Amino acid sequence: MYFQKKRCIAMLLAGGQGSRLKVLTEKTAKPAVPFGGKYRIIDFPLSNCVNSGIDTVGILTQYQPLELNEYIGNGQPWGLNKTHSRAQVLPPYERYDKKSGWYKGTANAIYQNIDFIDRYSPEYVVILSGDHIYKMDYAAMVAYHEKNEASCTIAVRNVPLSEASRFGILNTNPDGSIYEFEEKPKQPKSTNASMGIYVFNWKVLREALIADEEDETSSNDFGKNIIPKLLNAGHKMMAYTFDGYWKDVGTIDSLWEANMELLGKEPEFNIRGDERTRIYARNSALPSSFIDEDAKIYNSFVAEGSEVYGTVRHSVISVGCTIGEGALIEDSVVMPGVVIESGAIVRHAILGENSKVCRNAVVGGAYGPKDKKKISVTSKGAVVEENTVLAPGDMI
Amino acid sequence: MHVMGIIFANDATMGDLTGKRTMASLPFGGRYRQIDFHLSNMACAGIRNIGIISRHNYQSLMNHVGDAEEWGLELGEGGLEFLTPYAMSTSDRYRGKLENLFNAMDFLEYGVDDEDDYVVMADSAILSNMDMNKVIEAHIASGKDITVVTKAGIANGEKQLDLALKLDAKGEIVDVAVDYVAPADYLASMDTFVLSKKYLKHQIKELVARNKYHMDRDLVMGLYQKGFATINVYQFEGVALFNESIEEYFRNSLRLLDKDVRHDLFGGNHPVFTKVRDRVPSYYGDSCEIENCLVADGCFLEGEAEDSILFRQVTICEGAEVENCVIMNDAVIGEGAELEYVILDKNVTVRPGARLIGTEKNPIIIKRGETV
Repeated sequence: MYFQKKRCIAMLLAGGQGSRLKVLTEKTAKPAVPFGGKYRIIDFPLSNCVNSGIDTVGILTQYQPLELNEYIGNGQPWGLNKTHSRAQVLPPYERYDKKSGWYKGTANAIYQNIDFIDRYSPEYVVILSGDHIYKMDYAAMVAYHEKNEASCTIAVRNVPLSEASRFGILNTNPDGSIYEFEEKPKQPKSTNASMGIYVFNWKVLREALIADEEDETSSNDFGKNIIPKLLNAGHKMMAYTFDGYWKDVGTIDSLWEANMELLGKEPEFNIRGDERTRIYARNSALPSSFIDEDAKIYNSFVAEGSEVYGTVRHSVISVGCTIGEGALIEDSVVMPGVVIESGAIVRHAILGENSKVCRNAVVGGAYGPKDKKKISVTSKGAVVEENTVLAPGDMI
Repeated sequence: MHVMGIIFANDATMGDLTGKRTMASLPFGGRYRQIDFHLSNMACAGIRNIGIISRHNYQSLMNHVGDAEEWGLELGEGGLEFLTPYAMSTSDRYRGKLENLFNAMDFLEYGVDDEDDYVVMADSAILSNMDMNKVIEAHIASGKDITVVTKAGIANGEKQLDLALKLDAKGEIVDVAVDYVAPADYLASMDTFVLSKKYLKHQIKELVARNKYHMDRDLVMGLYQKGFATINVYQFEGVALFNESIEEYFRNSLRLLDKDVRHDLFGGNHPVFTKVRDRVPSYYGDSCEIENCLVADGCFLEGEAEDSILFRQVTICEGAEVENCVIMNDAVIGEGAELEYVILDKNVTVRPGARLIGTEKNPIIIKRGETV
C-alpha cells in the first residue's frame, strides 16, 4: 500500500465508556451517542478534522464498539474514504511482545498505534476526544503551534474560577507558554482549563510515549503523565485559547443542556453556522418529516423521517420518530426512532434510541426556568408502558 | 445471470420546471430528484450496471448523481454510466428511445452475452417504490419476450397514455395501443420493461435498420401485432405516480401528504436514497404554524404553511402564509407574503408582502433563482 506523507494527522480517543451517561451508554460507546437530532457526538470532532483540512484520522475504540464501528464505516459521510484520506478504526489488539491488550490509558492507546502514525510520517499529531460538542478550526491551532515552535500545544478555555478546580488547569506566562500544569487543583492559580485537545510534534510525542510505557508507575494518561513529564523535561508547551462554544457532554444533565442550547432564534450554539464549518453525519435515508394538521411545534428541532401529530415545545426530535395525536413533548431530547403514542406526556426527558412511550404514559415533570431539573431517561429500546409514570430523574 | 438497468432521463414535459434540467433531475417530494426512485429501485434489487440515457440539459443530473456513492453504486464500466450524446453518436433530430439504445450499444455489449442476461428499462417520469427482483422473476417465469410493468386505475378516459394494454378476464391481452386516451379498463404502462439482453439487442438492430425508433410503437406494439413478440403484463400493486405534466406533478406532490401514498412510496419495499446535503434539522420557531406539510431538513420556519411540500433549507418568515404550494430548496419567503397554489423552483426569493395566487389546475411557477 502507498501512504502519502502527511503534515498533520489526528488521533481521536473514542474508547471511553462514558459511565456518567448511565443507561445511554450501556450498549453504546459515548462517541456514538445521538446528539442534535441527526448527529452523533463523534460527528463534531470528525467534521472539525475535515473542515480543518485533516484527512487522516485514527479512531481508537474499545468500549462497546459495534455501533460506533458501524457508524464510522469506511468514513464516507466525512469524505474520509478516498485514496489519500482515511478514517481508520483502531481497536486494541494482541501484540507479539505482549505489551498490549486493552488500552490502559489515553497515552497507551496512542502508544499501541505508533505503527499507524509512522506510516504517514507526520510532523504533527492532533489528539482529540470523542465527547465534546464544538466547532473548531484545528488548522489554526496547528499554525499557532508551528509559529511558536512548541513541542506541544494544548487548547484551553476560560472557565469561571469557581469551577476551575474541576479541570486540569494550565498556568501560563504572558507569552502563552505553559509553566505549570495542575490536575483539578484545590486552589487554582488561573482559569485556563485544558480542553483535552493537544497538538504534538510527532517526534517528541513518539519518544515520550515509549518512555512512558517503560515507566511501570505511570497510568499512561496524557493529562496525568505525558504532559507533566514533557513540561518537567523543559519542552516548550503553549496554551491555545479557544473562546467558541464548547461543551463536555459527559453527563445526563450536560447532554440535555447542550441539546437545548441548539434551540432558539439565536441559539447559544448555532449549528446552522456557515458552509465551511458544516457538521457531517451518516445519513439515515429517510424521507422528509410529516407534520399533521393537528400538530403544533414551537421552538424545536425536527429532523428527517419523523411524523408529528401531537404538540412539541422546546425540544429536539431526531430522525425517524413518531409523536402521536394529543401527545405533549416539552423540554426534551427525543433520540432517533422513538415512538411516543397518543396522549403521552414527556417533559424534561432524554428518550434513548428506539425507545417507546405508550399511550397516556407520563415521563418526567415540569420545572420553572430557575429550578434544578431532574432529567428522566429511557435507555435504548426501553418501553414506558401504557398509563404508567416514569418519575422525574428516573431511568429505565 | 447478469441484469443491467437503463434509465431514460429526458423527454421533458414540464415547461419552466424542466427548462434547464432533465425529468430525471426534477426535484420531487421534499428532498429527492425523480431519478432517485429509479436508482433506488435498481440498486436495492442488486443491479449495479446502470446506464442513464440523457440527451441534453444533463448538468444538474450529473451534479446530483455525483459519484453514485449514495445509492451504493460506482461510476465506470460495469457500474453506473452516463450515456450522453458525447458518448453516443449524435444525430440532429431525436427520433425515439430505440435510437438512444442503438447509440448506447457499447454499453449493452458490456460483459459476456449469456442467455440469462436481462435488461430492465425505466423512465424517469413515473415514480414508484418497486421490487425489481419480483418483476425480473415474473418475467423469467412467464417465458415471454417482453415484460411490460403496468398500473391499473391510471387510465380514465381523459389522460393520454404512452402505452395502454387491455386484458380479458383470463388475463390475456386483447388490445395494445400507443398514444391513446384509454378508457378506465385499460392498464397504463409504467414505461418499465424487462427483456433478455440478447433479444433486446437483436430487435434494436432489426428495427433501427428499418427506420423504426419508437419504443412503445415499434418495439412493443409493432412486434406484438406482427406476432414477433410475446408480452407478459406485470401489474404493479403499489403506488405509481405519473408525473407527465405540471398539473400531474403538482397533484402528485400534494398526494404525498396522504399517509398511505407516502409510506408506500418512501418505504414500501426499500428506502429511497438521495444525495446527502448534510443540512441541520429543521427549526420551528415560536410563532410558526405548520399544518399538514412535508418538511425536509434545514428549514427555518416562523410563518404559516398548510397542505404544502417544503424542500430543504426553506425559510418562511413571520407572518408569511403558504398554502397548497410546492416550495423547492433554499426559498426565502418574506414577512407577510401570501402564496397559494404556487410552485417555487430552487432558490427563489419572495419579497415581504408579495401575493401569488394560482389555481389547482394552473399553479403559478416561479423560475429558479428569481425574486418576486
